[in-house]
Formats: sequence, structure tokens, C-alpha cells
Amino acid sequence: MLFSAYFIARVHNPEAFLNSPDKLLTIAGTTITLFLLSSGYCMVKAINAIRCDQSKIAFRWVNVAIILGFAYPVVKYFELSWYAQHGVDVEGGIFFGAYYYLTLNHLVHVTWGLMGLIFVAYRTGKGAYTSESYSGLEAAALYWHTTDILWIVLFSFFYILR
Amino acid sequence: MIGSAEKTWFALMGLTIFGAVLGEAGNVGWPLTLTVVALIVVKSGIVMDHYMEMRSANKHIRNVLRLFIILVPTLVILSFAWGEEIRRLTTLN
Repeated sequence: MLFSAYFIARVHNPEAFLNSPDKLLTIAGTTITLFLLSSGYCMVKAINAIRCDQSKIAFRWVNVAIILGFAYPVVKYFELSWYAQHGVDVEGGIFFGAYYYLTLNHLVHVTWGLMGLIFVAYRTGKGAYTSESYSGLEAAALYWHTTDILWIVLFSFFYILR
Repeated sequence: MIGSAEKTWFALMGLTIFGAVLGEAGNVGWPLTLTVVALIVVKSGIVMDHYMEMRSANKHIRNVLRLFIILVPTLVILSFAWGEEIRRLTTLN
């Protein structure tokens, strides 16, 4: 549904979607992508560590994943502040309406993901996961990777595609 | 030693920076659209196969995710190639 809103807005307003991406900060979108994918890499390392019963190493990787993940809202805050100062808001047209609608939706899901990562970090630190039983850690990692995939699509839609 | 996780990470970083450069270049048209589609498919595919290990996952979950990375690029191409027709089909009055 979220993506269909984007496509319908796009076909109805091709000019807006052709010109408006120039007003977005590509560096901000790129930085967010690099941080999110790096955070995802850390979760891969955490899963690999727990499979070897190295819960302390897994704990460290989950914590690094959380730190990198928190870079997303921080960068987003500065990006949105810059837009606010430069008048890049929903009144700027349908492109920005779609941009705020989809990216803020994504930010909400990333927030849930970060809360999940904090929870599994706590559990990992307590030694709750072993090589035999780590489904909680794996579920959090899978959710986190799903937010990666969605951001890959959103980054392409708004910052690259014209 | 560089393992497969590190190679995957390097590939994703490289493709992301390539995409950013492409966006800043301000290209338009079919070459850009097809490149963006390829970037979405390749990057999402890497995350699914190497981060999420979907090759060994339940086939229903795997198929849902695969459908997503087929559907989204298809819609990008359709909206670019037949935007006017889709606009008429999705106009209420």
C-alpha cells in the first residue's frame, strides 16, 4: 500500500518526480544507507558469534549494531532540520508529501527495530542465547535486515531515480 | 582475513556509493531507470541471501521476499514506460 501511493503519485506528477529529487540531500540518504547496512553487517557477525557459543562477542556486535543504527535517526534529524530551514516541506508538492510519508513511516519501523535490538542485546548480555537456542536474536536480526531492504528501495526512489 | 560477510558488506558499500554518484549526476531516462532497478535487485538480493540467509529459509517466506524484489522493480519500469496509461487507469473522474 505504501509503495502503491508512491507509484500513483509518480505517474500523476511526473514533472515533480523529475525535478524535486535535486532538493534532497543525497549525502544524508547515502550516509543513512551506509550506517543501516553496516549495522546489518554487525547483526550478521552477532549471529555467527552466537552460533559458535561466543555470547560475549555476539553481545559486542549487537551493541555496535545499535550504535550504528542510532546514527539513522541522528542523521535524519539533521537532514529534516536542513529541509525545514530551506523550506523543503510537504507544501513543496506531491513529491515531498510522498517523501515524508514513506521515509517517516520507515523511521517509525527503524525505531521499533532499535528497541528490539536493545532488548536482544540485554538478553545476549545475560547469556540467554546459545548455539542451540538463539531464535530471539535471529528474529530481531531478520526484522532489522528487512528495514535495510525497505530503505534500499526508498533511497533509490527518492534520492536517485528521476 | 576477509570473510564472506566482509565481502558482502564491501559490495553493499560500493553499490550504495555508486548509486549516490548516479543520483548526483542528475541523469534521467531509461539508462538511469534500468540502473536503479538493477541496484534495487542486486542490493536487496545480497541482503536477502547473505544477511538474511533466505536460501535456507522456509520457502513461503523466501517467496514473499522474492516477490517483493520482483514486484517493486517491475512497478518502476511500468510507471516509467506506461506512466500515462497508468495515470488514466488510476484517475477517478
